[in-house]
Amino acid sequence: MKKSMNIVKKLFLYFWLIVFAIFMMGPFLWLLSVSLMPGKNVFSFPPAIFPSFIDFKNYIDVWKYMDFFKYIWNTVVISVLGVVLSIFFSCLTAYPLAVFKFKGRNAIFLVLVSTMIIPAAAGLVVNYLTIKALGVMDTYLAVILPSAVSVFNIFLMRQAFIGVPLEIRDSGRIDGASEFRIWYQLMMPMVKPAIAVIGLLEFMAMWNNFLWPIIVLNDTNKYPLASALSFLNGQFSYNFGWIAAGTMISVIPIIVVFLFTQKYYMEGISGAVKG
Amino acid sequence: MNWADFWYLPNFSKGALQMKRNHNSSKKINSEAKTAWLFMAPGLILLCLFVFWPIIYSVPLAFTNYSVIAETEFVGLDNFVKAFHDVDFIASLKNSLLYVIVVPFIQFFSILMAILVNRKMKGIRFFRSAYYIPVVTSMVAVSIIWGWLLSQNGVINYLLMYVGIIDKKISWLSNYNTALWVLMFITMWKGLGYYMMIYLAGLQAIPLDLVEAARIDGANRWQVIRKITIPLLKPYVFFCSLISLMGAIRVFDEVFVLTSGGPGNATLTSSLYIYQQGFQKFNFGYSSALGLIVSVFIVVLSVIVFFFNRKGGVNPY
Repeated sequence: MKKSMNIVKKLFLYFWLIVFAIFMMGPFLWLLSVSLMPGKNVFSFPPAIFPSFIDFKNYIDVWKYMDFFKYIWNTVVISVLGVVLSIFFSCLTAYPLAVFKFKGRNAIFLVLVSTMIIPAAAGLVVNYLTIKALGVMDTYLAVILPSAVSVFNIFLMRQAFIGVPLEIRDSGRIDGASEFRIWYQLMMPMVKPAIAVIGLLEFMAMWNNFLWPIIVLNDTNKYPLASALSFLNGQFSYNFGWIAAGTMISVIPIIVVFLFTQKYYMEGISGAVKG
Repeated sequence: MNWADFWYLPNFSKGALQMKRNHNSSKKINSEAKTAWLFMAPGLILLCLFVFWPIIYSVPLAFTNYSVIAETEFVGLDNFVKAFHDVDFIASLKNSLLYVIVVPFIQFFSILMAILVNRKMKGIRFFRSAYYIPVVTSMVAVSIIWGWLLSQNGVINYLLMYVGIIDKKISWLSNYNTALWVLMFITMWKGLGYYMMIYLAGLQAIPLDLVEAARIDGANRWQVIRKITIPLLKPYVFFCSLISLMGAIRVFDEVFVLTSGGPGNATLTSSLYIYQQGFQKFNFGYSSALGLIVSVFIVVLSVIVFFFNRKGGVNPY
């Protein structure tokens, strides 16, 4: 009796799990099927939801036209540099805010956090002028600099540093280590899960950022994938197969990165609690 | 309650309570302050340049007619007067406010999903990852996909007609009455996984013996959810609501790619309008003024939210 109840309950749960999975993944699977059927109209009615044949022609054609290696390379450079800088600066800034005692500490933190509510669009014009004044227009640096340190990441890292027992810092001091060494060799390893979280969040943000690169890069050859994709979408809005294939190419790398890092990421988010 | 309690890494926050006020000599504190500033300097310099400077500099800019074409002149309050007579700007403010409706829906569905995946079952990791995929993909890609799905001859219309919910094709994104709601749906769909993970962390932080004790006392599943899960999840709900509220008011990407504010100004949001004035019409001065107005608006709104939460017993700082 109890066993059959369990099976019914399990079936019920799997049913809803699958319903939500179709809801979240369905659009991507449909896009995959569109991209694999060259010549098929996306807007045929009734629509072709499942592929009736498979052909990689769209991928080959759009790759010939767009030189995706170049855009992937641009995106990798921008994302990796952005993530490294962001982790470095955020951890450096968050550390004293969490463990040091000095006048104005709370005031600084409050001012930082309050800037999080200002809409990003309000700063676009002035940031554009700043980048121009710095003379880095049309370079990767122009794309990376404004997001090289974010208040959200500082906020996250400060929380993580607060959780590290004070004794660790004291033990480093007794051994005569400099503050910088204590930070680098003792504190940073303690906040690895949080670093994984901001690292992946920042990587996604960098990988998917399309507007700011369009604003500061004049040379479309320097565009990251997302910007190139919105460019492609504008240019060939009638060639569905190409756009579908291009979209798949741009989406797959970040999904792969997520699947490989998700273990650390999800551990970081849910802390030490096991699921 | 303090920040540490409502943040999603509860195990990280215990140290905050252990922090002791030790009475150091003032000399030591001085040297500590110096080191602290050295540590923070690189980050603060960048923040000053790209976070604080835009806020400060947009104030004088808002009182000029700065653009790339004409000579820059001080115009006094002209931009602000113009803004409050600007039909499009008023519409964009209204749309941005309307967008906030998405916040409770996000909380409801992501909590539901978190409860669904918060159990040990075969393949549960697969489902957690599957729900997270929309979060990691770019808004450009997501917009392209949903733009097709939702078009006149798209899959959504076919499915809805097949099931019998609608009897006529609707072009969801170019219909004045549906466009904004459809965008809100896409925002929700893309964000669900992110909030689900935070709620999942919250659910897993709930001590199991508490739930078991309630079960032994004869509480049913719904009572456990209402009396234990929801109260303990409250700090997470507050955090997620705050983040999604800010996201909703600042919404830009999906609107920019899918509708550019149209049809008419049905989906024009304040962020998009600020962008259009700045980078499509090159009215930098006017754009800055709009940015200022929206910022003040949001600051007032957040103060109200904080005020209500203070009353509710949650101290956000």
